[in-house]
Amino acid sequence: MSIAAPTSEHGFEAYLAHKRSRRINNWLIVAGGALLLAWCFWDTIMFDTDWQRMGGALGIGGTLARFFQVDWSLAPKLVVPALETLMMATLGTLLGCFLSLPVAWFGAANVTPSKFFFYPLGRFLMVLSRSIHEIIWALLFVGAVGLGALPGILAVAMRSVGFISKITAEAIENIDPKPVEAIRAVGGNQFQVMYYGIVPQILPVIIGTIIFEWDINIRRSAIMGLVGAGGLGLLFFRQMAMFNYGGVTLVVLAVFLLIAIGEVVSHFARKAVI
Amino acid sequence: MTTVAAESLSTPSRTWSRYRHPESTIRFAVILAILAFLGWSVAFLNIDLSRVLGAFPRLAEILATRYFPPDVGYVTDADFVRSVIRTLEMSLLGGFLGVVCSIPLAWLAARNITISRRIAYPFGRLAIIGSRSIHETIWTILFVTVLGFGMLAGTLALTVFCIGFAGKLFSDELEAIDMGPVEALRSVGANPLQVFQYAVFPQVRVAFTGIAIYTWDVAFRAATVVGFFGGGGMGWYLKRTTQQLESTRVAAILLVIIGLVLLAEVGSGWLRKKIGRMR
Amino acid sequence: MAILEVRNLKVSYTASGPQILKGLDFDVDGDDFCAVIGPSGAGKSTLIRCINRLVEPSEGDITLFGQSVRALGAGDLRRLRRRIGMIFQEFNLVNRMSVMDNVLSGRLGYTGPVRSFFKAFPREDIDRALHLLERVGLSDHVDKRADALSGGQRQRVGIARALMQKPEILLLDEPTSALDPKISRDVMGLIRELAAEFKVPVLCNIHDVQLALETCNRIIGMQDGYKKFDGPAQGMRKQDLDEIYAMEVL
Repeated sequence: MSIAAPTSEHGFEAYLAHKRSRRINNWLIVAGGALLLAWCFWDTIMFDTDWQRMGGALGIGGTLARFFQVDWSLAPKLVVPALETLMMATLGTLLGCFLSLPVAWFGAANVTPSKFFFYPLGRFLMVLSRSIHEIIWALLFVGAVGLGALPGILAVAMRSVGFISKITAEAIENIDPKPVEAIRAVGGNQFQVMYYGIVPQILPVIIGTIIFEWDINIRRSAIMGLVGAGGLGLLFFRQMAMFNYGGVTLVVLAVFLLIAIGEVVSHFARKAVI
Repeated sequence: MTTVAAESLSTPSRTWSRYRHPESTIRFAVILAILAFLGWSVAFLNIDLSRVLGAFPRLAEILATRYFPPDVGYVTDADFVRSVIRTLEMSLLGGFLGVVCSIPLAWLAARNITISRRIAYPFGRLAIIGSRSIHETIWTILFVTVLGFGMLAGTLALTVFCIGFAGKLFSDELEAIDMGPVEALRSVGANPLQVFQYAVFPQVRVAFTGIAIYTWDVAFRAATVVGFFGGGGMGWYLKRTTQQLESTRVAAILLVIIGLVLLAEVGSGWLRKKIGRMR
Repeated sequence: MAILEVRNLKVSYTASGPQILKGLDFDVDGDDFCAVIGPSGAGKSTLIRCINRLVEPSEGDITLFGQSVRALGAGDLRRLRRRIGMIFQEFNLVNRMSVMDNVLSGRLGYTGPVRSFFKAFPREDIDRALHLLERVGLSDHVDKRADALSGGQRQRVGIARALMQKPEILLLDEPTSALDPKISRDVMGLIRELAAEFKVPVLCNIHDVQLALETCNRIIGMQDGYKKFDGPAQGMRKQDLDEIYAMEVL
């Protein structure tokens, strides 16, 4: 109410003018956004799509119908790839944790070995890890170590480093310095100060983050096969190549199931830790 | 020192050990089970541990020899620049559609303000979890199969991806609101839509704007690769150059992607900070 | 020779910043329970932290057990610190660890890397910890997490941790200012009793003058970085107090 009670005639008018210009501004932003979206819509959807080849509603309906005839005969062949996917996610998360340790150490402002070199390096590695899509990481590693589960694990690990180390570095930056001081005062060495003063404070955050990341990594491992790294993705790719759409649906259902299991496990794990 | 050493402490009336009967045993068993699973995984997947460590120097060596120098001419070509712009358009459109669709779904999937806990709540949850569970590349392939190659499929895949991503964040935000105004409006007889508009939306407006911007940021990251599977945009160039082993061109494209994603991240971070200050 | 000798101690946190301590001289002997009193901002806490070099002095000498504290390297400093027990204003416990582990952590200076990694402390340390927990009245809380205790109980854990070290001197940094008056008296009484039992001299900084006069046998009065009074608690007169607190604005 302080603004609506003007001290002078002039102040009140200035207030109205300010409010009017703000409203105009808002409208301009909305109109600009709408125009931009309309242009995007025209350029991407209307211009780029080959409407003839799509074959109208009937053609789409026909393809969809083939997806819904689920090919249950494939079910026994799903077990091993599903297990592979789960293992790839788990090992990838584990490797990601190890790789995160130095990155988090470098990128936490209060413990970094050097503010001018290692701190920016750590921050850069965090952003780099997150900004490269897991498919691209997988492509790079397939080039480096060949086909198989290993490039998938490495790709998942590299993609996890950013998030795990970012959260860990933030947890380290937010620790309570008082217990650390106490361990130093009893004559603890560097390792003891870290192990007794810092680790107990950040451990719950880190474990929660690892469980969260593991859950996401199941999702990521499920597509690693698309670029040659085994698991359910490879099966998906093969069914797609054979135009066996019923089998594709079954693979997607298997991914759902795997992720549901992951959700349940991580729910209980998080409860047990915190 | 002698006085201290000579101090006589009576033996305590009980003993203590770190071992607690059921808890310690269970914890030990769980840790052992996890380790066993990890070991089994390494054996089952035939992982050669020396190759794991060797992978990083090998990657560096390959990047240095085969991928260097990046073919800058290729990425400054008009066609490629056009595909970058289209990637941006797809991410904007997909992000926008995803956010628009996810707001009502998040409303249904927020336990405290959903229309009905029996029907609407599980429906909203399932829709969001379903969109999240399947990776965006799988969505892309599915849409490409049904609708054909092109940006329509890519945009729709990004839309579904954004529904899953933004829907979860939106519904978490909705579940954390102050219920006082909601109850006040319910008690004057407002219908659910009015409650949402007058009691819920004002509380989450700023947070939603921030989440929407973040969603675009993540959608852009995903948009750079949907083309790899036929969804249109710059990803298609990545696929073509990878398959033809034109490594210096791949390197140039990767650098463009990293640069753009960094720009998007910095831009969205700046915008979100600005909007957060308006709160 | 006195256990602790402080000569011409000066401290400033930054090279160009204001001096917190402006030249202090005093000794602490074997049977001292010595309180440092003074208005807030007088430099009491800085003084305590200089003794075990949690704060680095800028000038002067501190001699503890005949060793010059300022000259020590990292390893020697750790060996010196494990002979000094310290009790903190905010208890400085590791909240997520159990009471037992917090008390045992007092022995870390004597514990090797493998033992400290597995938290496998020797039998006699565990027995000593149990005994000390009994002495401070926490036998029923051995396995509780430190953040499940009340303020007074937490400070008792802090006392037990300090005594775990078999200290040859105790440094107390405002041990009672986070506690209410009744508990403060209990805690100070307990510290005095245990200090007498283990024959440890105490250097204690405290803002509650009444409590200091009740518990301690020697008072050092500080004002704005200088020592204004040094003598037995019984010999302290009202005008001495008035002089120490002359600059405090209330």
